[in-house]
Amino acid sequence: MPECQHLWEMINIQFGFVVFEKCSHCNGLRTYFSPKDHPIVGDAYLEGEHTWRCMENAQSFQFDLRCAKCNRVEKYDDFMGFLYCTGCLPDCQVDIIQKKLETQKTWVLVAFSFFPRKEKDSFSPERLKILEDYFNQRRDTSRSRVAILSYDLIEDFSRCKGEFIHDVGMLSLEPPKERKPLL
Amino acid sequence: MTTTELIKNIGLKALSEFDDRKITGVFVSDMLSDVMAGAKSGDLWVTVQTHKSIVPAANLVDVSAVIITSGKEVPQDTVELANKHNIAILKSDLPTFELVGKLYGLGLVTK
Repeated sequence: MPECQHLWEMINIQFGFVVFEKCSHCNGLRTYFSPKDHPIVGDAYLEGEHTWRCMENAQSFQFDLRCAKCNRVEKYDDFMGFLYCTGCLPDCQVDIIQKKLETQKTWVLVAFSFFPRKEKDSFSPERLKILEDYFNQRRDTSRSRVAILSYDLIEDFSRCKGEFIHDVGMLSLEPPKERKPLL
Repeated sequence: MTTTELIKNIGLKALSEFDDRKITGVFVSDMLSDVMAGAKSGDLWVTVQTHKSIVPAANLVDVSAVIITSGKEVPQDTVELANKHNIAILKSDLPTFELVGKLYGLGLVTK
């Protein structure tokens, strides 16, 4: 039986917030998705050895992908969002790949899962490919394409000045002009 | 209708260099997640957002152009990033409601 040439569609779309929290003791970062229709606000709270304080609520969404031909479903509830590279670190693998692919009219985005990172949480090459295929199927690829890379390629998040494609400051009357670094 | 024709018809100001493209629909939203979930390739994206992250969002879903309404000032780094990706950033002094009315009057509807 020939393998299905998947045609992906986005399903189970849920809007909500990606919450960024930092521990005031160890400076550890953690993130999670909240499906509530309002940002998570509140004081710092103690959890074990950590005192977590909310740094940012970013309006975002979650989704799964389903093949319209064979009904295969690929879940992405571990997907935190896309980061676009700002070229801040010339020795970063993401920037090196980005510069090479830009000459081929291919635009690079980095797929992140939630923090803290665990080895098992990395996106497999297959899952990244599916995500990439979906977004390329949504566009006219004769003009340009997108390439989706794993965040594993970023060696040191503390030095990364890439920016996430999500909305912050949605409670203010004017969208913020500057964004504070989150990694 | 193409981007260039739209600029002339509505009196928009082009802020970035861009590839002229056929417009196939309109998507109105001020949330990047909404655009990433719902906008279609070739859509005109109408928004008041001006942060440079609108450029990778627009690029990801391959919109034909972005119209910033209500006379919002667009930061130079947004324009520079749009130039790099050949994405049209267009500006209108009209509020979103009025601008969308004009687009509808031109027959630009989402199929």
